[in-house]
Amino acid sequence: MEQSVTWTCTGCALLCEDIQVIINNNKIEKVENACLKGKARLFGCKHPARSTINQVDADISEAISQAARILTDSEHPLLYGWSNSTSEAQHAGIELAQSLGAVIDSTSSFCQGITINEIFKNNLPACTLEDVREKADVIMYWGADPMSSHPRHLSKYSYFPRGELRQRGYEEDRKAICIDVRQSRTAKICKDKFYMIPPQGDAEFIRGLMDGLSGRVPKLDYDIKRILELAATLKKAEFGVIFVGLGLIYSIKSQMQLLLELINKLNEFSNFYLIPMTGHFNMRGFNHNLFEKTGFVHRVKFTDEGAISGTEYSVIEQLKNGADAAVIVGSDPLTSLPASVSRRLKNIPVILIDPCTNLTSKVADITIPCSVSGIEVSGTAIRLDGQTQEISSLIESNGLSDEVIIRRIMEELD
Amino acid sequence: MTSAMEIYQLLPKTNCKKCSESTCMAFAVALLTRAKHYGECPPLMEEEKYRDYKTKLEQLLKPLEGVEENGLIIHEELCSGCGNCVVACPVDVANDPHGSGRGFGPTNEKVIFKVVDGKVKAANIMECRRFGKDKILCRACIDPCPTEAIEFV
Amino acid sequence: MDIGKFIKAPEYDIIIVTYRDVFQASICEADRFGPECREMSAVIILDNTEMKRMGISNESNVLLKSKWGNVVVKVRASTKSEQKGIGFMVNSPWSNALVSDETLNGIPEYKNIHVKITTTKEVLTSLEDLLAGL
Repeated sequence: MEQSVTWTCTGCALLCEDIQVIINNNKIEKVENACLKGKARLFGCKHPARSTINQVDADISEAISQAARILTDSEHPLLYGWSNSTSEAQHAGIELAQSLGAVIDSTSSFCQGITINEIFKNNLPACTLEDVREKADVIMYWGADPMSSHPRHLSKYSYFPRGELRQRGYEEDRKAICIDVRQSRTAKICKDKFYMIPPQGDAEFIRGLMDGLSGRVPKLDYDIKRILELAATLKKAEFGVIFVGLGLIYSIKSQMQLLLELINKLNEFSNFYLIPMTGHFNMRGFNHNLFEKTGFVHRVKFTDEGAISGTEYSVIEQLKNGADAAVIVGSDPLTSLPASVSRRLKNIPVILIDPCTNLTSKVADITIPCSVSGIEVSGTAIRLDGQTQEISSLIESNGLSDEVIIRRIMEELD
Repeated sequence: MTSAMEIYQLLPKTNCKKCSESTCMAFAVALLTRAKHYGECPPLMEEEKYRDYKTKLEQLLKPLEGVEENGLIIHEELCSGCGNCVVACPVDVANDPHGSGRGFGPTNEKVIFKVVDGKVKAANIMECRRFGKDKILCRACIDPCPTEAIEFV
Repeated sequence: MDIGKFIKAPEYDIIIVTYRDVFQASICEADRFGPECREMSAVIILDNTEMKRMGISNESNVLLKSKWGNVVVKVRASTKSEQKGIGFMVNSPWSNALVSDETLNGIPEYKNIHVKITTTKEVLTSLEDLLAGL
């Protein structure tokens, strides 16, 4: 029997809530309004995960018990992944880390975690995506290419829609500005408001822009007239927003105070807000959930004296030196981490919890298949602007969710 | 992409008007914009001497099979389902002001663009401003497309 | 005598910047191990003028070498004008084979990968090769 269901997409951190999915006999047949990324998430992977121990098919209960044994025996376990899990599963992971005295970190560690850290630490001005749609007249995409990473970003929220205060839409009421090292798909849409800067040139450009905003002549190797024009546009904004991408973050990662300085400078003249372009659907959820529990957004070790945090507890540094066992949830470090780091996963016991077979499956000691969050499992997630969104399940499954698997491992720990 | 001239070379060029166009060139233009089908030329279909032309024309016009009557073509392999065209199209905004007009997926069937299975599909082509008596060279769906997936022939 | 075969192809220093592509991401999400995912990932985009300077032709294979690893990928000419000395690769196991284990604020230099590029007759590095090379 065919039914049309409204669904919140988990393809990326936009969490679009206006998706129509046509389901027939518990099988997904068609989807309307979702972009290609959402469609790919919805229709799943070609190689679903299997339950294995030492690369041989095994009973899932046995795999869970073996995972618990590995963790009981380890002294420095690392729990990593989490950005494709519901907040409920993330809470379970944090509890597991606490009971083990483990290190817990997420993919945000080498992504937007440090931005979210600045947002929390310095109370950076934030707004919602709905605010952007209804009010934003100046929108900056800095080191971000949403047309490739969050395809409906511009059409659903940030540029093309008519808004309450922007009734004449993008043609007359909004300006889209892009700063990047190449003419990305987003830059193409921004046309003459695209500013190409050299790689690692963001710090210099920020300083040049701040000079322009302060009425000083910027001193950098760039078309000064264009920087002054940009500064003038930003000063006149009624509601400005900077969407911060990895192109910017990777460039200023050891000088993050520049972000605060820029936002503060902009807010001397107009109203400017900042939104990090988190990728996975619940990356931001992990940062919020961990912060709530420990006061830190990522890279946490649970000790007898409480939670501590530092770069040495990042997934990268732990894999280089420290971790003697790893639980990986909804992630594929052999695809996303430098090989110079991920190769260490061959030397320690690895427990992989994922709906799909991925590269890391090939080196894992234990693989435990889990249901797909947001399709077979419901829960909550946090959107890239920090808003909590309910995510619902669409089809029934006999599988176990990652949350259930984590809790069963916890029960079986000695 | 072929041209009216290329198509014209493969027609009888007798201006017999059996297709109800005044000249073979006019028929060639109608074939390009998909307003007419080559099967509407009786000499081409019936006369042995045009059999070679007919085969070549079939091959030439095959890529235009996706072309809508107003000349709209969507290159699906380039489409990312971003919805820029859905929200930018003035017809979508006028016919669905609280849906497409505000960035949501369409909330009625009167829109031209809608994303299905991650790719944009076109409908209600007659509503497009490039069509009809007061037609204009509207580019509202072309310019916002990040991958040049939408084209008008 | 074919002198050419005794002369090594020249190497050039470039910096690789990684980026995201929606088509590659959706294909690889569906089938991480398939040929389509490899074809869309094992690619470096170079500026046309730079390609001429380095004697590299479109759709040819190149060997990328960093201190941390080597991969053979296919070259695609950019449709736009790019900055000198930069190549672009989608974030994938191919680009990650080249990235240093050094970090700043816990983050690797994903968008600042220093490599030597040279033309090669070798075939594209496969996923199996990448896994074996770990």
